[in-house]
Formats: sequence, structure tokens, C-alpha cells
Amino acid sequence: MSRFSEQDMIEGCRRGDPEAQRNLFEHTSGNVFRLLFRMTGSKDDAFDLSQETYLKGFAQIEKFEGRSSIATWLYRIAVNEALQFLRRAETARLKLEKCAKGSNNGKCPIETTNVRLDVQAALARVDASDRAVLLLRYQDGLDYRAIADILGSAEGTVASRLNRARDRLRENLRKSYGLREESDPVVHPKSSR
Amino acid sequence: MCCEDYKLQIGRFLDNELTPDVRADVTEHLQTCSACNLELESLQELTLGISDSSEVSVPSDLWDSIECRLGADADRSAKRAVMNYRPFRTRRWALAASLVFVVGLGMLGVSLMDNSAEASTINFSVLLDGLPLDAQKAFRKFLTLYDAQPGSPPDAKKFASSLDFETPPTLPGGFHLDSVYLLQFGDNPGVAASYIRGDEFLATIFHAPVTNENFGTHKDYDCVVGKHHGHKVKVGSWKMVHLTDPTTCHCVLSQLDEASELPAVMAAVAPRASTANVHGHGG
Repeated sequence: MSRFSEQDMIEGCRRGDPEAQRNLFEHTSGNVFRLLFRMTGSKDDAFDLSQETYLKGFAQIEKFEGRSSIATWLYRIAVNEALQFLRRAETARLKLEKCAKGSNNGKCPIETTNVRLDVQAALARVDASDRAVLLLRYQDGLDYRAIADILGSAEGTVASRLNRARDRLRENLRKSYGLREESDPVVHPKSSR
Repeated sequence: MCCEDYKLQIGRFLDNELTPDVRADVTEHLQTCSACNLELESLQELTLGISDSSEVSVPSDLWDSIECRLGADADRSAKRAVMNYRPFRTRRWALAASLVFVVGLGMLGVSLMDNSAEASTINFSVLLDGLPLDAQKAFRKFLTLYDAQPGSPPDAKKFASSLDFETPPTLPGGFHLDSVYLLQFGDNPGVAASYIRGDEFLATIFHAPVTNENFGTHKDYDCVVGKHHGHKVKVGSWKMVHLTDPTTCHCVLSQLDEASELPAVMAAVAPRASTANVHGHGG
């Protein structure tokens, strides 16, 4: 998406131009839908939340100030929608946990590769806010600044949230393995250099 | 810097978020410290596992749904603009902002011509329509429509102090309280609760008596539950039974048998409900 075409799209969306809206959707919906799917564990919920994300985005496009990319701005809406949804219903966690236990007939978003399967299952059990920050960084490859924009926090906060989220994910993995020797924390010498 | 300090930097190192100086320092440390190398490898494996390379394709009908809702919003906005004798606003954000209000009223089944009916109608059709496919999802949609916020039973009592209801932790028959929600029906507070028994779902909704309940295309019948007179709407195996007293409409959505299980459940959530035949919905 070139800067010029992005600007065109934004201007078009501000005018309510359906073609610009469609264009923006086509450029961003892959990532938005995937994030929402990974957040909720349900394609139906991701479908509903994607609708809300774009309707809200189009309705509030006047508020977009161009300090981040339009995709990042939409991500912020999507993450907020997902967190709000998960807070309200608290059903996604149950679905994902069922998924992790292998009880929903392979309809879960988990790969068959062993390590990934374990990590994905553990990811399903961490808090939604931890899951969001981990997915934004390691699924979508966003840098701390973009994540800070999306979450409305400082870059330093993103770093500490990621540290905490990784630790919690590792702790979840440790519990699921039940193998202390594989998962004991690395022992550091008191100092070096 | 000691090893623990380096450990704190390894996450940023992995994420390529260190300044060149610090990065060089950490790189040098990693060449001599096996513990930090293990930490780095462990984090690499962990974070690699998060990225899911499997394809998640966008449903082909997603845009159509969005476009449809955009169009519906625009239509409603136009109607509202004409009725209010205001100039039609063409800016999308303004349309949408005004339409959120209009759509809300529309979903509440309120006539655009009748502003006085704002809080006097409750739209149950969104709940009833979705029951055959997924009752819990339909319930969530109903909650969303009425700005539900999660709460505890004491929160609910405090929030809807004008209503007379109960959200006990268990219901007769072995249902366990899953969640309690605080709702907003126009200016009036409401409460909803969901219960689970194995895979079975049951929901209760409490609201102030209103002049109309919108059941969409579904028929509403009189019924008797225990000693109570009420009314019910049946959708497949689901029944939404409503008992109303002067302060509160008590609604139970379930698949329970009316004669055997439902009376005890209704008595648990509406213990003080009048035995009088008061429908209160006036629809």
C-alpha cells in the first residue's frame, strides 16, 4: 500500500466513497480478520467483530489523525472490540481451552506441529490482553511503537507487557508439559563480564 | 551489567528493539554466556510457536455484510433526516454517528415517528430469531444490543434496585450461575444472568414493566407456570417464559419442561412475584 494510495483511500473514506471503503477493507481485512480469529478462536465471532471494526472505522474516520498508518489505527479498533467482547462474554477462553484439549473436532486454529501446537494451546489460556500483545508482536510482526499506538500505551510499557506475557505463556507451557526438567527456568550466573 | 540485567534485555534483543550500542553489548555478552544463550533460544522457540502460518481466509461474505449494514445505516439516516426536517448530512462519520442512535431505536422496535416510546419497548426478536442456530450467541447479541456489562449478583442488586429478582448461584435442577450482566433498557436498568447445566444453557432477564415487547414474527401465548400466570414464546425446543408483577418482568429462557422443572426455577428467580395475572407487556 503506497503512501499516496493510502492517503487516497483515507480521503475517499472520509467522503463516504464506497470504492475507497472497499479498497481499505481489501488491503487490511486479511490481518484484521486473522487477528480477531486468533483472539477469539471462533470464525463466527471474528466475522461479527470484523464487521464492527470496519463499521466503527468508517464511522470514526474523521478522528484518524494520520499519526500511525490506517492499518494500525484499524488494528486498534479491532483489538478494543476483541477485548471488549472477551470481557463481556468470556466464552472465547472456554472455546480455546476446549480446542486445546482436542475436543472440538479439529476446528481450532492450532497447527499440528508439536511445538506450535503446545504454544498455541498455551496461548489460548493466557489473558486476552497478554494474547493481544503477543499476537501483535509475533503473529503480525509489529514493532513496539505500533503496538504502543494500538494499545494506547508507552513503548516502555509494551516492552514490560511483552516480558510479562512471554513469562506467563512459558508458565502455561510448563504446566501443560508437567516436565520440570524441560521447562525449568534458565539459571543465570550472578554476574558476568 | 550483570547477567540478570542482560536477561531483561533479551526480549528486546529478540524483538530488535535495542539501540545499536546496547545491542552490541548484549551480542558480546551472548558470545560468552551459555545461560543467556539458552534463554534466547527458549524465547525464540516460544515466539516462533506464536506465529501461525496456517491460512485464515477472510470469509467471502464479510464485505457484503459490512456493505449491507452501511447501506442500511444510510437509509435509516435519510429517513431520520427527513423526519426531523434537517439538512441531509453526507459526511460518513456524521451519518454513522446519528445512525447509531437511529439504528438503536429501530432495533428496539420504536417507531421513528414516536419519540415518546424510547424506553417502553424491548426487542426480544434478536434473541428469539437466533435461538434455533445458537442460543448462547443469540443471548450475547441481545446483551450487546442493551449495552450489557458484566457484574456480580450484588452489583446487579445495587444497579437495578427498583427491580425485584434473584440471581442465585444455583437453580433447582442443578444449573450453576455462569455470568451476571447489567443492562440498560432506555433509561431503565435491567439485569440478565446465564446458567449452565452440563451443555445445557438457561438465561434469565429482568426488566421494568414496559408497554410493548417486540417478539418479531414469533407468537406470544398465555401460560401458567406453577401458580403464576404469564406468557410465553416458543421457538423450536426453546421457551421464553415471562412473569410480570408491578415492579418487574421476570423472563426465563430455557428448554425446561413447563410442568415439571420450570416452576421451581421461576420461583427461585422470582420468589416474590405476584400470583396475579398481570402481563404488563401490553403489546
